[in-house]
Amino acid sequence: MNSSPSRKIIHVDMDCFYAAIEVRDHPELRGKPVAVGGSSERRGVLTTCSYEARKFGCRSAMPTFKAMRLCPDLILMPVRFDVYRQESARIREIFHRFTSLVEPLSLDEAFLDVSHLNSSGSAIAMEIRAMIQEESQLTASAGISANKLIAKIASDWRKPNGQFEVSEGEVADFMRALPVKRLWGVGKVTEKRLQALGLETCGDIVDRPLHQLVAELGRFGAELHEMAQGIDHRKVNPSRERKSLSNERTFAENLTSATEGLLKLEPILDELEADLGHAKNRDREICKSVVKLKFADFTQTTIERAAMSIDRNLYRTLLEEAWARGDGKSVRLIGAGVRFLSESGSDDDHSGHQLKLFQ
Amino acid sequence: MKFSISKEKFLAGLLQVQNVVSTRTTLPILSNVLIEAEGNGLQLTTTDLDVGISGHVEAEVETPGAVTLPARKLATIIKELPSDQIQVSVNGDNVASIECGPSFFKILGLDADEFPPLADFDDPKVFKLEQKTLKDGLKKTGYAISTDETRYVLNGINCTFKENTMTLVATDGRRLAMMDHELEFPESNEIAVIIPTKAVNEVQRLLRDEGEVTILIGHNQIAFELNGSRLVSKLIDGNYPNYRQVIPGEAKYRIPLERETFLESVRRVSLLASDKSNSIKLEFSENVISIMANSPDIGEAKETITVKYKGPNMAIAFNPEFLMAPLRNLDTDEVYMELIDEMSPGVIKINVPFLYVLMPMRVTN
Repeated sequence: MNSSPSRKIIHVDMDCFYAAIEVRDHPELRGKPVAVGGSSERRGVLTTCSYEARKFGCRSAMPTFKAMRLCPDLILMPVRFDVYRQESARIREIFHRFTSLVEPLSLDEAFLDVSHLNSSGSAIAMEIRAMIQEESQLTASAGISANKLIAKIASDWRKPNGQFEVSEGEVADFMRALPVKRLWGVGKVTEKRLQALGLETCGDIVDRPLHQLVAELGRFGAELHEMAQGIDHRKVNPSRERKSLSNERTFAENLTSATEGLLKLEPILDELEADLGHAKNRDREICKSVVKLKFADFTQTTIERAAMSIDRNLYRTLLEEAWARGDGKSVRLIGAGVRFLSESGSDDDHSGHQLKLFQ
Repeated sequence: MKFSISKEKFLAGLLQVQNVVSTRTTLPILSNVLIEAEGNGLQLTTTDLDVGISGHVEAEVETPGAVTLPARKLATIIKELPSDQIQVSVNGDNVASIECGPSFFKILGLDADEFPPLADFDDPKVFKLEQKTLKDGLKKTGYAISTDETRYVLNGINCTFKENTMTLVATDGRRLAMMDHELEFPESNEIAVIIPTKAVNEVQRLLRDEGEVTILIGHNQIAFELNGSRLVSKLIDGNYPNYRQVIPGEAKYRIPLERETFLESVRRVSLLASDKSNSIKLEFSENVISIMANSPDIGEAKETITVKYKGPNMAIAFNPEFLMAPLRNLDTDEVYMELIDEMSPGVIKINVPFLYVLMPMRVTN
């Protein structure tokens, strides 16, 4: 596919969004290590933390008790989703002054397609960030490039409160030097595995023949090969509706038995249930349950079945069935999720839909 | 405390109560079984604070007393012991010594005083019925209980005592199973409660085909007394949906079906119900039902059965699991399927007061 005239894509990412809002609203917190999240007594995790807290090694999604150990002076603020949502809406309104092609990824980041505007992507990003700072007293970082993949990587480059552009001519060089862990889908464990194959940078991946990558890593190898070249044809999709929600976990050591897998499945389902409880998902109707396994050889399998709620027994069955497909291969990742019925009410793949006796 | 007991009896008693102990518990004593030795035997009790169960086994009690020991571990040990006579003695530090032939086990217990007692009932409403009746009723309805924990009022069986009838209902919002049974009780006893799934499962394990069961219902609690055992459970607090309104009135078509034949056909055809849609289609034409399924990547299946049907041609789709569940749990040779049209609930009935309402699936082709 030839992606005709070049595009101008901006990825805007708010800096420590929730924590920054808390510091703005509580000026006495300025300059101190601040985190937003659930308390450790309730086994909470951090959703965000300020740069001061990050210096101590605190990270988002880290269990609160662990963060408190790393940084005993950490100031933990309770989560105020209503405020964050309101702030997020205000910032989105700023985006819409420039383009209607805005694809929010979450409350604190979004892709913008500004190809139709005459100004350079950098100039537009600069203007947007200035408006955000003026109107919300919050800072944002931006990445500018010809596609979503690179724009998103680039927005991290000058964080916080900075921006970075990768022009089309620079893509090849930019990608070559990029460590593999920057790519989507490459976490710690995959990174190690890639390193073991001598793949440290995207350049290493591009230089490796495609068939070898596929032999080593399965379909993911082919995806990696494309990503590593900075190829991404995905459009900025303003009406993107969340079609599914899932939760997955990669294990430090591969699991060798389905029994082990069943044990590991439970906390994944706990989290999935918690995520489904969030306001943004609460009204969505579930139509399918999905279990995904990634095997030691990086091949993966997904199995799904019609369901209207989180039925743990069904997930257990799906896990066992998926496990059997591996023919004894050990498993490095388990994912469990749901697909939502599309909001128009019909299932997007035209399969059956269970009618209800009552709501 | 000291007693001797036969391996077989001890094990049977432990197995009856061990299911209740929770695997993940914040309170260690809830993993334990309370053993009270007195008179001619042992009283064994477990609880997870929601459901508690207590049973009696014969034993020769030398010194009465009480202790709590890890329930599952104890059951595993007793099961593996080499001969039938077991001697157990417990010292003042709650350490139990178990001797059996050449085997000797020393098990650390916890103080019996710290074990939460099973609730007592003030002035409960009391019902007595045949165990077989309750066993049968729970079997015919229990499979329709919702497993969706966000809809907790549906995570149990709704049990109503009204106008000399006991009604058991379970539903998950897509299908509903209901059974009525005539029972005499004073009007002052009329009540409706929701019995949680765990209690339903546990009482099913205790129920036999003979003898009576006594049901006691107190404030937010229910107890079942049978065969010398007592099961106590909290009730689900909430309003059960008004299920009467979803039971269709007059059916347009009533089709008698041989239960086993129908079940087996559905089971075979459902092998090709796609993972995605998970539906099978029933096509009704004069005196024939064609049961069909297809899976885009695999193929399709079709089976026809001869029935008495005189209505117009009609096709209706169901989730095969939901269709098979009542067929598996009923025991009559014949069932009746009642239909109105392809978007209205289908009903399965038998010749006694039972019904199963099932919403069809909308299939877009």
